[in-house]
Amino acid sequence: MNRVALYLAVLCCAVPALAQGVNPSRGQLKLPEFASLADKASESVTVTLDSQLLGLACRFLDKNDPQEASAQKLCTSLTGIYVRQYTFESDYAYPKADIDGIRRQLSAPGWSQVVGARSKKDQTDVDVYVLIDQGKARSLAIISSEPREFAIVNIIGNIDLEQLHDLEGKFGVPDLQIETGKQAATGKPAEKSPAPKK
Amino acid sequence: MSEDFENQLRRALRPVEPPSGFAERVVAALPERAPRVATVAVLPPSPRVAAWRRLTAPAALAASLTLAILLGQHMGAERAQREQQAGLAARRELMEALRVTSRKLDLAYQAVNRPAPEPQPPDPTRGEDHS
Repeated sequence: MNRVALYLAVLCCAVPALAQGVNPSRGQLKLPEFASLADKASESVTVTLDSQLLGLACRFLDKNDPQEASAQKLCTSLTGIYVRQYTFESDYAYPKADIDGIRRQLSAPGWSQVVGARSKKDQTDVDVYVLIDQGKARSLAIISSEPREFAIVNIIGNIDLEQLHDLEGKFGVPDLQIETGKQAATGKPAEKSPAPKK
Repeated sequence: MSEDFENQLRRALRPVEPPSGFAERVVAALPERAPRVATVAVLPPSPRVAAWRRLTAPAALAASLTLAILLGQHMGAERAQREQQAGLAARRELMEALRVTSRKLDLAYQAVNRPAPEPQPPDPTRGEDHS
């Protein structure tokens, strides 16, 4: 009986330890359901692409289309893309508590805020976080809240910010100068960069 | 009188041994019973029936194989169609996700690159330069 209890205790300790060692979903945020918001929103975008669906999507991208070719380069190294975006007819129709809950997740070790922009004029908040692991960006999170819109983007995988830069001018991705993990790890906001090539 | 009659009757009805060979003679005199034999007419099958019988098993096998192949092809085509639909839907989602990401990064870019408010020029009415 004692031996069984010992085995169980060892198993209970070993499983979480092993799970921490190999955690494919590290960097994945726990996004709330936002079910009630979807009804209230005039427009909503919900994208849930796990590694399997992402692989499938990559296979169906058109290499001859420059936009899709760039996306294909990017998505082969990713393991998940999760997007929630809601647009409303009235100001602040969404609960800020949900967004604060997600911000709390980003205060966990490993996450660094690379951009934190607050505009009183436009009442816009944009935060960009990067999860750095062994000197490499493993996950990217963007939280954007405007009076009539809020969006959460979570991209997981070996994020090559150079490749993200390659999208510049294609999706309108600007040059954020966040290409090195070191800079992101400092937690300092990105410096000013030249105007995007559009 | 009655006794005499009884004695006569006893004598008349006394058991008498049969002569030797009586039983064999009786059995030999009986008519012989012919054994019952069922007669079944076995006709050779007609050539059409024979051919049908010969071909039934291979025909069933061929039909089963054909059906299995057709079913497999149909299921494969359906699976490929489902996979294509799922792939195209995933591609649309991926492109939409990248568009949203780029828009939000653009927003961050604009916020970061917004020119800082220029310092206000010194008000000449306020104080004098004593240097």
